[in-house]
Amino acid sequence: MVVDSRSSKQSLFQRMPGSIKLLMALAMILAAGLIPLENWPAHGLLIGIIYIGLSIAGVTTGYLLRRLALFLPLLLVFGLSAPAVRSDGAAWSWTISLWLRCTVSFLAGLWLIHVLPFRELLITLRRWRCPAVLIAMLGFMYRYTFILWDELHRLQNARAARDFGSGPWWRTWSTNSQMIGLLLLRAMERAERTHRAMLARGWDGSIRFLEFDE
Amino acid sequence: MANTEPAAIELRRLTFQYPNGRIALDEITCSIPTGERIAVVGPSGAGKSTLLMHLNGLLPAPPITSDDKTQVFVHDRGVTRQRLRDIRRQVGFLFQDPDDQLFCPTVRDDVAFGPLNLGLSREEVMSRVEAGLAAVGMADCSTRNPSELSTGERKRVCLAGILACQPAILVLDEPTSNLDPRARRQLLEILRAFQGTLVVATHDLDFVIDLCTRVLVLESGKVQADGATEGILSDPLIMDRYGLEVPWRLRKP
Repeated sequence: MVVDSRSSKQSLFQRMPGSIKLLMALAMILAAGLIPLENWPAHGLLIGIIYIGLSIAGVTTGYLLRRLALFLPLLLVFGLSAPAVRSDGAAWSWTISLWLRCTVSFLAGLWLIHVLPFRELLITLRRWRCPAVLIAMLGFMYRYTFILWDELHRLQNARAARDFGSGPWWRTWSTNSQMIGLLLLRAMERAERTHRAMLARGWDGSIRFLEFDE
Repeated sequence: MANTEPAAIELRRLTFQYPNGRIALDEITCSIPTGERIAVVGPSGAGKSTLLMHLNGLLPAPPITSDDKTQVFVHDRGVTRQRLRDIRRQVGFLFQDPDDQLFCPTVRDDVAFGPLNLGLSREEVMSRVEAGLAAVGMADCSTRNPSELSTGERKRVCLAGILACQPAILVLDEPTSNLDPRARRQLLEILRAFQGTLVVATHDLDFVIDLCTRVLVLESGKVQADGATEGILSDPLIMDRYGLEVPWRLRKP
């Protein structure tokens, strides 16, 4: 998984304090939101700055294009919904504005993932006095994303071992939907067991953190 | 002179029925003296995990106050909802799947979880985390994500998280499942060093021979046999009747 596998590299950005990196990413997203659409060179400049930042962080153009290939089609479809329901000229400007701002935000987020390890992000959020429940939820999400990812791979392997080549598309879809349902059920069962494990170690509903010396 | 020390764990006609109507535990009565190492063995579905969860007050919601309805006693004190915090301070529970227990983003955050819930000072928590990780030989892995560790390492981190709470009683559910021989041996050495009371539910009978002095055979939620490890595990009649096998080490030529 991309999280932490790249952010542990040692570049100029990776060595910077977590707060600065988070501030920089938020500033980019804020700037993209505030700069008027007419000022398109400024948007271009923002994208250029983030691209340089990604290059310094060790992200290759090929990797970036692959990630954009996942994101841009969704954005394209979503953006086209405005001209489909509005007939005035403002619809297209809204669409272009959405495309530009979302792309800048996506790139800023991608840059942040590549320069800020998740644990450092949690520590930064703690220092910024974000609500403890939110930080705990992020921590759980991070930890269990790996576990559910492994679970999904096990399900896929089990299917691959017994599907004897691809069947008709409706059968594949039916199996996939059953797998998603099974994954959800297993996630719920795991949540129940994890809750018990928390209770067994004295959890009383309060979220407590400890700052370790780095 | 008679031993006046209260039993570490006492079960008085412990009965438990799951919501689907299946009786998991049927009037189990048993006393585990302080410092004893006992194994709970039996076929799958015998009620071993259910029994263990009762020792930590995890199943079901225990009675609120009265000892009259209480069926589980830890150091002579009934497991009631009011005393759960105190009971869980005394009883450490190792779950079968380490991924259920390791829910924090880093190893040391996870080991610190229990001591933080005990309300200890920052210094005390840090010292317990260091001691816990050192006890299981995982001191070098404190900043790692649990997902990067092997199953054996995860089990050891789970154990560190429990040892950091300094429980008097350790309850282990299938501690050797999915472990390779080296990880199993390491776990055995860690557990042998533990000074308190130990309750282990397992299918690994060689592990029982190496660690426990007493065995409880459970089947259909009932205690079918209770006695010294070697006596029970070397009895082919008992073992065969309850879906178990006499370990090679105890087979008579």
